[in-house]
Amino acid sequence: MTIITPADSLKQTAPRTPFQDALRRLRRHRSAQVGFVILGFLVFVAIFAPVLAPYDPIKVLTDVTVRSKPCIHFFGCPADQPQHYFGIDGNKRDLLSRIIYGSRLSLQIGVATVTFAILLGTILGATAGFLGGWLDNIIMRIMDVLLAFPSLILSIAIVAVLGSGLINALLAIAFVAIPVYARIVRASVLQVKEQDFVTAARALGSSQLGILMTHVMPNALTPLIVQATLGIASAILDAAALSFLGLGAPPPTPEWGLMLGAERNSLFNAPHLVFLPGLAIILTVLSFNLIGDGLRDALDPRLSNVQK
Amino acid sequence: MNKKLFSFLAVFMIASIVLTACGGGKTEVPATATAVPTSVPTEVATTAPVENQAVVTATSYAAVSCDYGGEFKSIEALDDNTVKFTLCYPDPAFLSKVAFAVFAIQDKDYLDANGGDSAKMSEAPNGTGPYTVKEWVHGDHITFEANASYWGGVPANQTLIFRWSAEAAQRLLELQAGTVDGIFAPSSEDYATIQADPNLSLVPYQTGNVFYIGMNNTKPPFDNELVRKAVSMAIDKQRIVDTFYPPGSYAAEQFIPDDWSPGFSTLGDGAKWYEFNIAAAKDLLTQAGFPDGFDVTLGYRDVVRVYLPHVNEVAQDIQAQLAEIGIRVTLDKVESGPYNQSVAAGEQDLFLYGWGMDYPDSTNFYDYHFASNAVRFGAEYPDLVAAIKAAALLSDPVERQKHYDEANALIKLHMPVVPVAHGATANAFLASVGNVKIGPLNENFEEMTTTSGQLVWMQSGEPISLWCGDESDGETLRACLQVYESLLAYEYGGTGIIPGLAESWESNADGTEWTFNLRQGVTFHNGATFDASDVIASFAAMWDVQNANHKGNSGAFEYLTGFFGQFLNAPPPAP
Repeated sequence: MTIITPADSLKQTAPRTPFQDALRRLRRHRSAQVGFVILGFLVFVAIFAPVLAPYDPIKVLTDVTVRSKPCIHFFGCPADQPQHYFGIDGNKRDLLSRIIYGSRLSLQIGVATVTFAILLGTILGATAGFLGGWLDNIIMRIMDVLLAFPSLILSIAIVAVLGSGLINALLAIAFVAIPVYARIVRASVLQVKEQDFVTAARALGSSQLGILMTHVMPNALTPLIVQATLGIASAILDAAALSFLGLGAPPPTPEWGLMLGAERNSLFNAPHLVFLPGLAIILTVLSFNLIGDGLRDALDPRLSNVQK
Repeated sequence: MNKKLFSFLAVFMIASIVLTACGGGKTEVPATATAVPTSVPTEVATTAPVENQAVVTATSYAAVSCDYGGEFKSIEALDDNTVKFTLCYPDPAFLSKVAFAVFAIQDKDYLDANGGDSAKMSEAPNGTGPYTVKEWVHGDHITFEANASYWGGVPANQTLIFRWSAEAAQRLLELQAGTVDGIFAPSSEDYATIQADPNLSLVPYQTGNVFYIGMNNTKPPFDNELVRKAVSMAIDKQRIVDTFYPPGSYAAEQFIPDDWSPGFSTLGDGAKWYEFNIAAAKDLLTQAGFPDGFDVTLGYRDVVRVYLPHVNEVAQDIQAQLAEIGIRVTLDKVESGPYNQSVAAGEQDLFLYGWGMDYPDSTNFYDYHFASNAVRFGAEYPDLVAAIKAAALLSDPVERQKHYDEANALIKLHMPVVPVAHGATANAFLASVGNVKIGPLNENFEEMTTTSGQLVWMQSGEPISLWCGDESDGETLRACLQVYESLLAYEYGGTGIIPGLAESWESNADGTEWTFNLRQGVTFHNGATFDASDVIASFAAMWDVQNANHKGNSGAFEYLTGFFGQFLNAPPPAP
């Protein structure tokens, strides 16, 4: 009996594996490139926030006037004034430092909520799809009920019950996102479980769980990855919206949505305080959306021959 | 099989709907439960029947005796156009109090027909004032129309419209667009913009007010005087005023504003507050047993007031200042209505609150806060209560001041509050609006001139009702002032007292009997004639808990007890 090891197959000038293929397409995908550059920058900023931020984000400064415009020496701000690249906020804090620290929070929010939602969503969706029957019916009808609410209203309701605060806001957003993942996983599982190789595995006597984990799930993963990337973007937006409404991160946390909400009345006399946190949110959400788009194209086997 | 499944599903759905419905019901129960004791003391009646303490005749309404604890002894009609108030104790501020918008006069028949229900009476308000209510589109605007038969002359504008927006930026935007003629309190950062615009005019004014940090002495750790003192010394008031308050505001040394006499102490212990000193404050905390500080929730409400123009920013600044001495503050922003209730019920440990004067007398600051059996700051301080009550009985300013000097020193000693700032403010109008007079107590909407004959005013919130007997919110009182009148009134642009529905008045030597000669020929908006019975009915509805018209909005009638001590037939305090 001969066993073909991976090492053997590498020796031949073999065709690329589907994974390599996808990676190659992703690398060549124009909007994904842009997305990765922005995201890379954000991750860099988030990791090195203490080094990059010129001030403590919650420290009230004493030598500045409230809501003053950006002061950059290079652009003609008098050299005897301290530099504040993004200006000063309504509580005399350095806006640049707050935005830099805010990137940490936003990325954490996005990843944490989506991870939580995927975990629960996958378990529910896989159970429903694989076992079927009345369990499937019950789980999916509950998911339908959750989907029937506008997501922001539902998360506001959840926060209203749990009490405001960052952790509760994250739970609310994650909870609201669960049905999407559950549906996607269930759909893929339904599709995959009827295929011949699954029947083969079953004929060989594999356990239900074994089949699910080794054969079904890996094949259902593709749409989940795409949805997760896009989901991070909407989770960040939802978190910002909740904080804007005063239901998310408590002050003085440097959270972008909270910063926007706090300064919304200064739109005319200090536009930078509204514009810059808004821009930060836009960039983050945009990067995840672009990457998500790229991933969807790259992982779609039907597009394998299309040169992008 | 399938049938079974679906019946199971149906049961499941119904069960979940029922569960949600029950959950909703649970949250409503406490609200009604707390409302009951204030309005009808039914349980008390079953255990120990309380005799009705009101003596009512066709022309008078009186208390059996002064033992009930309030200020009024009797209100009687000497004839159709003369009303006499007899008080249980002298009150030098009586005229100022009677002039307040809450004590406006209602038509007796109208009051009876509606049972004193604020909501019903708001549908077709029936006053004697310069404007009648044409329509109130809830959530949008109120349209007032000039009262052609107003005794004080027809108002300058045929139509007066009240609109509202909580956002200062939106108010200014509407003013700049010309869709409104005047706005309440633009943000102080926008003053420069308004002054630079030739189409707009800024109308600054002073009001008697104070912004303070309240501390409840029944809630640990604020039951410890050292902790209260540490907080008192840790607040840099000057920094707060410099950063967040408009020009004309100043840091508070005392609870009462600097220009109040008698009231403000120029000498004595109470003249200056403790020095701002972080090191000393830290020492005090260590002495109190909190070397590493403690965690606390700071309550505040999201409402812009003259005394607190930048709510969130000031709250965050105080959070940052207290962090310096190790007190870790969590901010708890609450909606205005529930917040007022929770402060009044003494549920807040550490809270931001303030006061804008209702009538120009120091009793309005001292008595209301520190000597009215309120639980806002926990238990009252008996020596402070005594000093304040002693001052309220005197009419000689010099003698009163001596008691207030003592009271100010005691406030500094006990620190139920840290007075932070006295705010100044401004309203803004289109430059085309003429004859604008804004004072600390009112606005002269009826006298302002516009080219179109229509004045649109935008304030920061919607009125709660249009009968103000049981209201305390400034936005609501402003609307009531257009429709109703009290026996007396405050002059526009100042604090002087002028005749209202009473043309003249006199009192006996010790200030316990006040006789008002009512204006003749005044009619209500519904055509009814104004006479002495309306005055008695209006006061009785607020004063006597057993009165058929004692309903109001929440039934609290906060100002009656705040100004005049106690209700007649008041339910005994809850055990």
